[in-house]
Amino acid sequence: MGSRWTWRALALPGVAWLTVFFLIAFYAVLCVAFGNQDSLSQPVPFWNPLDWNVGYFLSVMHDIFHNGPFLTVFIRTIVFVVIAMALCLVVGYPVAYFAARHAGRWKGLVLVLLIVPFWINYLMRMLAWINLLSPGGWGTRILHGLGIEWIFLHLGLLSNPGGWLDGQQSTVILALVYGYIPFLILPLFAALDRIDQRQIEAARDLGASSFSAFLRVTLPLSVPGILAGVVLVALPMFGDYYTPDLVSASTKTNMIGNQIDEFTRQGSEKVSGAVLTILLSLLLLVLMAYYLRTTRRAGQEAGAEG
Amino acid sequence: MSVFRKAFYWLRNPWGKPRWLAIITILYILWSIVPVAIAILFAFNHGRSRTTWQGFSFEWFTGPTGSVLHDPDLQGALKHTLFLAVICVLLSVPLGVTLALGLQRWRGPGSGTINTVMLLPLVTPEIVMGVALLILFLDVFPGFGLGTRAQAIGQVTFTLSYVVVMVRGRLVSIGPEYEEAAADLGAPPRDQLRRVLLPLLMPAIIASAAVAFALSIDDFVVTQYLSGDASTTTVSMLLYASARGAPTPALNALATVSLVITFATLGLAFFLYRKIAGGSGSDTAQVAAMEV
Amino acid sequence: MLGEIRIAQLTKAFGEVVAVDNIDLDMPPGEFFTMLGPSGCGKTTTLRMIAGFERPTSGQILLDGSDVAQVPPHKRSVNTVFQSYALFPHLDVAGNVAFGLKYRKLTKEERRRQVAEVLELVQLTGFEHRKPSQLSGGQQQRVALARALILTPRVLLLDEPLGALDARLRKDLQVELKALQRDIGVTFVFVTHDQEEALTMSDRLAVMRNGHVEQAGSPRDVYEQPKTTFVADFLGVSNLLEVESIGPDGNGCALRLGERMFRAEQGDTTARGQLKAMIRPERIVVEKHKDGADGDNRLPGMVEHAVFLGGSYEVHVRIVGGEILKVTVANEGSSLKFGLDQGTPVTLHLPPDALRVLEPDPEPPPEPSEEDAEAEPAAV
Repeated sequence: MGSRWTWRALALPGVAWLTVFFLIAFYAVLCVAFGNQDSLSQPVPFWNPLDWNVGYFLSVMHDIFHNGPFLTVFIRTIVFVVIAMALCLVVGYPVAYFAARHAGRWKGLVLVLLIVPFWINYLMRMLAWINLLSPGGWGTRILHGLGIEWIFLHLGLLSNPGGWLDGQQSTVILALVYGYIPFLILPLFAALDRIDQRQIEAARDLGASSFSAFLRVTLPLSVPGILAGVVLVALPMFGDYYTPDLVSASTKTNMIGNQIDEFTRQGSEKVSGAVLTILLSLLLLVLMAYYLRTTRRAGQEAGAEG
Repeated sequence: MSVFRKAFYWLRNPWGKPRWLAIITILYILWSIVPVAIAILFAFNHGRSRTTWQGFSFEWFTGPTGSVLHDPDLQGALKHTLFLAVICVLLSVPLGVTLALGLQRWRGPGSGTINTVMLLPLVTPEIVMGVALLILFLDVFPGFGLGTRAQAIGQVTFTLSYVVVMVRGRLVSIGPEYEEAAADLGAPPRDQLRRVLLPLLMPAIIASAAVAFALSIDDFVVTQYLSGDASTTTVSMLLYASARGAPTPALNALATVSLVITFATLGLAFFLYRKIAGGSGSDTAQVAAMEV
Repeated sequence: MLGEIRIAQLTKAFGEVVAVDNIDLDMPPGEFFTMLGPSGCGKTTTLRMIAGFERPTSGQILLDGSDVAQVPPHKRSVNTVFQSYALFPHLDVAGNVAFGLKYRKLTKEERRRQVAEVLELVQLTGFEHRKPSQLSGGQQQRVALARALILTPRVLLLDEPLGALDARLRKDLQVELKALQRDIGVTFVFVTHDQEEALTMSDRLAVMRNGHVEQAGSPRDVYEQPKTTFVADFLGVSNLLEVESIGPDGNGCALRLGERMFRAEQGDTTARGQLKAMIRPERIVVEKHKDGADGDNRLPGMVEHAVFLGGSYEVHVRIVGGEILKVTVANEGSSLKFGLDQGTPVTLHLPPDALRVLEPDPEPPPEPSEEDAEAEPAAV
């Protein structure tokens, strides 16, 4: 149906674009990370891999492994992401479950309402919370009135009354949850929606209670979907810098993204910034590889059983 | 029965669907949408406060000073955002459609690699892309510089993958049969594409254009990283910069306008999609099951 | 317009898998030719090669004498009706039917006239402006036919076109298609896995299996004189018996079945040794059981059960040795000479001119479930 090369030729422009503006761009990061820095603190990239200079890379690694500030930032980021992800799952799974399995005639409407936050500008959503949590804002007042502020103060999650936007770690985590949970709910929904109702009915038929059927049939079957959603959300969350910036103006809540942003866009130390970017990418690569391996193995097991 | 007992039994209904799931979902949806609704509400506030309601007014949208319509900064940001969005669609859709077609029909080595490379931007955090493109435009092509050109390129680079994925999905469901039928009836390969494949692909192309548009409008990181001087500020960047200051509700108004544009585009595309695909989307095999 | 196809040593391999293995077929012009076989036998691949959607690995496809194997599909004067019809969803019926006419220099009027003509041929006049999604399966199939026939091809290829329709509609369309072919005289090359369909419609057919042609000929010939057990079993119902051929007997051979001797006059009567013999259910004669039942070519049996098929019974009789023979007994009202209740003893007469010696099957028989599924006649 037309020679092979006509079709391949069609793909060429797109491929060329991605090669230059994605692959080469990333290669450039490597060249800067393994490059040098001139007297004006401007990077001097080394294009030839054979020339690569591991000096700056090593110094960053040294900082990390010898308890420098980078280590703190890395650990803090991981903690934030893990907690935020857990909260996302705790809230998101029941919602996705409801939407997929129990929404009945409301399913369409619920789905639309779940998709809507996707298309609202992320910054607008954060802006909304900044409004609400500012001193005198409706959110601050409600949290105070409901006693939630009191709880947070006493658990040490809030440092001073009404200071929600003053460098609070809890605010950052909750903001991350607010921001990213829609991106988790949809893959969860898709996975739960795909589960065959008949398998659950079979379990009930064999005597399992409703909860037990959930635990032993639905939950395990939804694990691939959970993994997919978690990975899909964790990747951008790790690179987030604007959320802490918006809801907490303090360096106490800096994540890796903030550090990279400071070094690169704000120009202070581009080479270190590039190194951190590489490290972040490596971390994410590990996550992706782990995800791919578990899904492949899960696929094989499912195939063997099926 | 007292109200409390009634409520208790309603909650504990063993045969019905779990009520608490419904409650959680409703609460979540409210939590998800209400803050934004409030922000939109205050765009219509009569007065400078963003936390105290002072009456209804359009002043922040159309008022003589400081409104979206008349404030040069807000205007500029809105115009620039829309400009970038249009450029993004004009570039990413053709690139994406051709890439999807080429990738789908590519038989042989290389397709797997290209497929992976195409998918990578979807899972790459924007900051990584931002840093990479920053370095590309400053150090690899020194003199290229940042600004509108760079922003457009950055946006196209990540929306491209969305277009490819959407178009390819549709390609797969279309299958090779229609083109084979066209060839069988005498159509040379170019006509197979023009008379059969592209019309069938149109709904997906429209949908992906709308998605590219919306993604561009809402984009922040890459756009910020590649911005040059103040004239390259977009709505997202303005929101970011002003959020913690003491902005007027004009900011809310700007965000609302941007939101309305996004949803209008998506809504329009959705209806276009339904209209085109509705008359042609039915699978022939499905209909064949419906007998005389 | 001739429309003769000759296939010479045609092979198609997909990597390691050989879908079509060096086959030769003759499809005379103006005839209804069917390729029949279970899924995976290579019939569809062969059809696609004739159409031009697959390029042969080697061999020739001669259309009226010239080899078209390397000619792209849009240049062959051969048209196809696809299994799923592949009607263009974005065009209406007239648009679909007139699609190929664009490549002929015709005026708009001419085009409209030809479309109307061919729609009348398939009995769809008035449907010009309907969309495919508004048509039933049978109607879609006719549009697909019209779309192909309007181009007056030399050969029309049909890839299991009736597969998606229900049984009643299928039977009606079988008759219609056959009549249509006879009317217009175009060579039809038909692919199906439904043996009843093939028997009903074809002038000639070829039974295929695993990329080979097992046997080709007229339906009657292939049905009554199958060469292998596969063909015997695939077309219609057959009873297969494990026998030993001892030596010649009259104008046939002597077969030993258990402790009894039979004479067989069909098939390869010169073969000796352990063989299979075949007899069709409608040729076995059921007689009332007489103790010491004897006579040539007779054996005793006991009725297992009788399946009522409306016009006849399919009686399953268990014979000595434990095998079950299927016998067709016409439904003559209540005047049967014997009962058909379970346990009734009967005598089965296997006439020598209906008893056929088969070639030993070179390949191991496929999974029973597959075979049964494929050989089952269309459910009523």
